[in-house]
Amino acid sequence: MSDVTLATLPIEAALQQAQVNGQHRPTSLISMRDIWKTYQMGTEEVHALHGVSFDVNKGEYIAIIGPSGSGKSTLMNLIGCLDTPSKGDYWLNGKNVSEMDDDELARIRNQEVGFVFQTFNLLARATALHNVELPLIYGGIGSTQRHEMATQALKAVDLSDRVTHRPNELSGGQRQRVAIARALVNHPSILLADEPTGALDTHTSKEIMDLFERLHSEGNTIIVVTHEHDIAARAHRILSIRDGLIEKDEKIK
Amino acid sequence: MRFDDVKESALMAFDTLRANKLRSSLTILGVSVGVVTVIFMVSIIQGLNRAFAGQIESLGSNTIFLSKFAPSFGRPPGPEEIHRKDLTMDDAEALRREASSIAGVSPIHRMIAATARYQDKQTDTPILFGVTPYYEFVHSQYVASGRFINDIDMQDRSNVCILGVDVMRALFPYADAVDREIRINGNPYRVIGVMEPLGNFFGQSRDNSIFMPISTFDKYYPDRPFPEVVFFIIIRPHSRAHVKSAMDEMTDILRRRRRVPPNAPNNFGISSQDSLLDVYNQLTGATALVLTAISFVALMIGGIGVMNIMLVSVTERTKEIGIRKAVGATKLNILSQFLIEAVVLTAIGGLAGLIVGEIASLLMNKYSPLPAYVPLWAIAMGVGISALVGIVFGLWPAWKAARLDPIEALRWE
Repeated sequence: MSDVTLATLPIEAALQQAQVNGQHRPTSLISMRDIWKTYQMGTEEVHALHGVSFDVNKGEYIAIIGPSGSGKSTLMNLIGCLDTPSKGDYWLNGKNVSEMDDDELARIRNQEVGFVFQTFNLLARATALHNVELPLIYGGIGSTQRHEMATQALKAVDLSDRVTHRPNELSGGQRQRVAIARALVNHPSILLADEPTGALDTHTSKEIMDLFERLHSEGNTIIVVTHEHDIAARAHRILSIRDGLIEKDEKIK
Repeated sequence: MRFDDVKESALMAFDTLRANKLRSSLTILGVSVGVVTVIFMVSIIQGLNRAFAGQIESLGSNTIFLSKFAPSFGRPPGPEEIHRKDLTMDDAEALRREASSIAGVSPIHRMIAATARYQDKQTDTPILFGVTPYYEFVHSQYVASGRFINDIDMQDRSNVCILGVDVMRALFPYADAVDREIRINGNPYRVIGVMEPLGNFFGQSRDNSIFMPISTFDKYYPDRPFPEVVFFIIIRPHSRAHVKSAMDEMTDILRRRRRVPPNAPNNFGISSQDSLLDVYNQLTGATALVLTAISFVALMIGGIGVMNIMLVSVTERTKEIGIRKAVGATKLNILSQFLIEAVVLTAIGGLAGLIVGEIASLLMNKYSPLPAYVPLWAIAMGVGISALVGIVFGLWPAWKAARLDPIEALRWE
């Protein structure tokens, strides 16, 4: 793992490089430049993020940590392309996401982002396999290939024997693994996990975090959003958010 | 939208229906009622139309009907029509002589509810016709036994009559009627023949009739009280192709004879089967409009049911919509999912409605005098309309779902 990441380079250097190319096209996987997110609360403007900039390289394992109300969720929504910034540029895998419309964002979410949620967010009436197939359906992949890819993804999270089970027939840890399989099935650029162990007991939490570690070692880029320090400590880099700003950006491994 | 999307949406739709059986069946019922109404109304209109066209044709081929009243269906003639000058035997004779498109002319007096009696048997319902020897040819209706009226009967004003099958059966259940003497409205007549059976016209027998020479009729009923007695003339043109020219010629001759001023409307009524059909179609057009309006209301109610269930469904599945959007569903994906769901609902309703409607119209044919007929296009229409109801009433809920903000939707519990 190279220690020289764009995140550690001065911003000026990155910008310079972009200008040389004649366009703002950073080389890092994620590049956030002066991101603002402002909400209108009645007559008052609330800045959830004010001027956040950072870069993430391919293959990094990052934790975003911060207390509730810090802007952590807002940042996660932006990284996950569920929302667009009020101001600033967000480049994901060479694409400027910040100016995309809803359908383009949907396409990006489908291709580039794999979500893992605290409450799993599986379709209750669908089998594990169908849940994992869901991104592929919207990705326009034919049923035979879809089936194969989904089966493969479930195998990768050790759920080959639970393919036809529905969520209510699975344990919490198994559900979260189905969700992880769903997140990975499309080979996205980033795996974005929002409090992935928040609904799990300690033992299962450890299992899931072990799985994340393994996925990271296999080359996946992982971003975990959490408020738990011991979960964040499993990552290799921690971004601490407070009051809509990056308070600390430290590499720990 | 690809086939896979549709399949996925349809599967999900069925899944949702299974998950909410009662709710879905009530909605489907609503749509069914609407479609049944449409099918039923169409089948009634179509059935009536077909029956009417058939009946008109059964009246005789291509004959033209002439009376002093304008053609109508059950509408009593107005005072102006009643006070018009009567048509006469001379008019009939003039038409026969002067109109080249005409093959035969049959002037007729008709009296309703004549009383006929033979020994101890009596019937009060027959229709009494005073006719000429041309009647058989013009109407293509012939005697089955005995003979018809001839010129000598006409000249002599003989008391002879020909019975329709119904009258014959009423008076002579066991014996041959020909050469018997019966009494009609108290006067003695000799039966000289029995007509061939004609069957029914709109549920009314056409065989409940007695024919006598028109001269004899005049002898007994010289003052022709209206409306018990009416006079009309039936004309047979040379062929179907001559109907139009015959009607034109007749109009010319009659306007001249009845001294109608050039710009005044006819003071008599000429109608062919086609013009009868025209009038009929005008009448049923209004009926059809009313029935269509009823169907529309019924479909609206079904559609509102669909919209209601779809709105509930969208709200209930906000989280699901959030999940789908998070993994990459576009607005169109979500929109089509809910639209297809609505269409599946209504299509099931439509099919159920079709089956019920078809059964109902079959039963109606079997057990009621009203004819019903479901044409193929009505079946296609039923399915089409129900799908359309699904699209129209499903569109707003589906649009609502498609527009949901994924972040809000994911947060929804």
